[in-house]
Amino acid sequence: MTNMEIWPKIIPSGDSAILVEFENRIDPEVNRSVQSLALTIESEALPGIQEVLPAYRTVMVVYDPLKIAYRPLAEKIKIWVEKAKNIDLPVGRFFGLPTVYGAGHGPDLQRVAAATGLTPEKVVQVFSSTRFRVYFIGFVCGLAYLGGLPEILRVPRLATPRTFVGSGSVGLAGDQANALPADQPSGFNYIGRTFVELYNPHGFPPVPFLSGDEIQFIPVAEGEAVKARGKHAIDFL
Amino acid sequence: MRAFEVIHPGIFTTVQDLGRTQYMKYGIPASGAADRFSAQAANWLVGNLPGAALLEITLFRLELLTLNDLVMSVTGANLSPQVNEKPLPMWQSVALREGDRVSFQERKEGLRAYLAIRGGFAGKEFLGSRSVFVRGLMGNAVQRGEILETADPVSQPIPLRRISSEMIPIFSNKNNLRVILGPQDDRFTKKGIETFLSSDFRVSSRSDRMGYRLEGPAIEHRSGADIISEPIARGAIQVPGDGLPIILLWDAQVSGGYTKIANVISADLDRLAQMTPGEGLRFQAVTLESAHQALREEKRRLERVERAIVGIG
Repeated sequence: MTNMEIWPKIIPSGDSAILVEFENRIDPEVNRSVQSLALTIESEALPGIQEVLPAYRTVMVVYDPLKIAYRPLAEKIKIWVEKAKNIDLPVGRFFGLPTVYGAGHGPDLQRVAAATGLTPEKVVQVFSSTRFRVYFIGFVCGLAYLGGLPEILRVPRLATPRTFVGSGSVGLAGDQANALPADQPSGFNYIGRTFVELYNPHGFPPVPFLSGDEIQFIPVAEGEAVKARGKHAIDFL
Repeated sequence: MRAFEVIHPGIFTTVQDLGRTQYMKYGIPASGAADRFSAQAANWLVGNLPGAALLEITLFRLELLTLNDLVMSVTGANLSPQVNEKPLPMWQSVALREGDRVSFQERKEGLRAYLAIRGGFAGKEFLGSRSVFVRGLMGNAVQRGEILETADPVSQPIPLRRISSEMIPIFSNKNNLRVILGPQDDRFTKKGIETFLSSDFRVSSRSDRMGYRLEGPAIEHRSGADIISEPIARGAIQVPGDGLPIILLWDAQVSGGYTKIANVISADLDRLAQMTPGEGLRFQAVTLESAHQALREEKRRLERVERAIVGIG
């Protein structure tokens, strides 16, 4: 006998949400299970379910306990977990976003180079040739949580986060990368910037990416990068 | 129709309705009135649907000049509302005349007052809701000199009405918050859970619509405070590395990577919305069943309020 844990686990998260936990790691395969379950639950459109939120290795189902009780919903989710194993996920889309690296647009490029022992040019070359996977959309203003950062680029977060980082800044920390959809504080190391619009509170969808999509931050000259200002990510499919 | 000119914007006044749902998967929190009971009651008093947009007024100093004849109600926290420097009765509708000055002078009880006008407040809609969410670039707090408009001017007069006094919530001395432990309560030591459930915490001044930061004894983790980032339910109590809990609320990020020891039950969120920096609170663990029971009672209370609205005079 082994004491292998049985996934997924279905547990309450407060009185109006259920958390479905898959294996505890950031991994495309685990995330595909997450995506499959989220899609399955959405397609069931059960009254009383308010939000279906996929993340790295969890799906949160927000529900109205006045419309559906915890136990019957948890039982339904168990059935949907099985059903989800047989669905085909839509193929992710690929976005190539023009990005200017270094100088005034990447305040942490030198630091990342020093920490990794690579030249700044090599950092940019490795980073910009990576196709990052969009694991899920969250935080505020639709931040895409990106995975797939090569091992040699892994550096810690800043000891003291910056109180202001401009929208479109492209950075990394630990095994993650991101492009900020709006101005906000952040402890990531920012090495470049894209001017493509990543968040639009006035329209639908407010965020161009979906989990399962891929993004590459294509290096371009500053003039070229700035030309993308006001353009939607959808123009760079 | 022009309703008010903002003479003084107060500390933080925003237009809110009952928020936007279905957008958390796009990284957008629901927002909406923090004390939903008071907000819905304010709307009923002026004959609006419960989800009409109104003003959420934090603390005091808001001052408005009335630009047209209006029907208004004020509920929620008692921030000493006045009309033309005379006390304004709360939890009832009142008729305002062009030129009247409405002001909120001093906090007596609670933190957030709600001001509804017949027809509701206008305000730009973002994803189906007028709730201002500053961090998400969805509108701003009201500014000095701003003109606030009515969304749907109704010419038909309604009789003034009030909520019978026994239905009016009392916000003081109710600082016992019920919680459901988890989803990461197993990431804390036995001592940590004990600290959480048996200590007095105080609401920090660094609290806002995103969340309530608490001061008190540090809660002990078993092995670090980090988890793989996951969605955050409303009312989740996150404990980062410093051991001090943060209750995540209406405008909070929808996902995060810190352990969550427990979640405030939905029935207690309106009460929490009225807690003020410096106030003390304690946590009491309850079962999921009793949390749902409390929510059903809360819903019945709201329905009773709707029925208990009576004419004045």
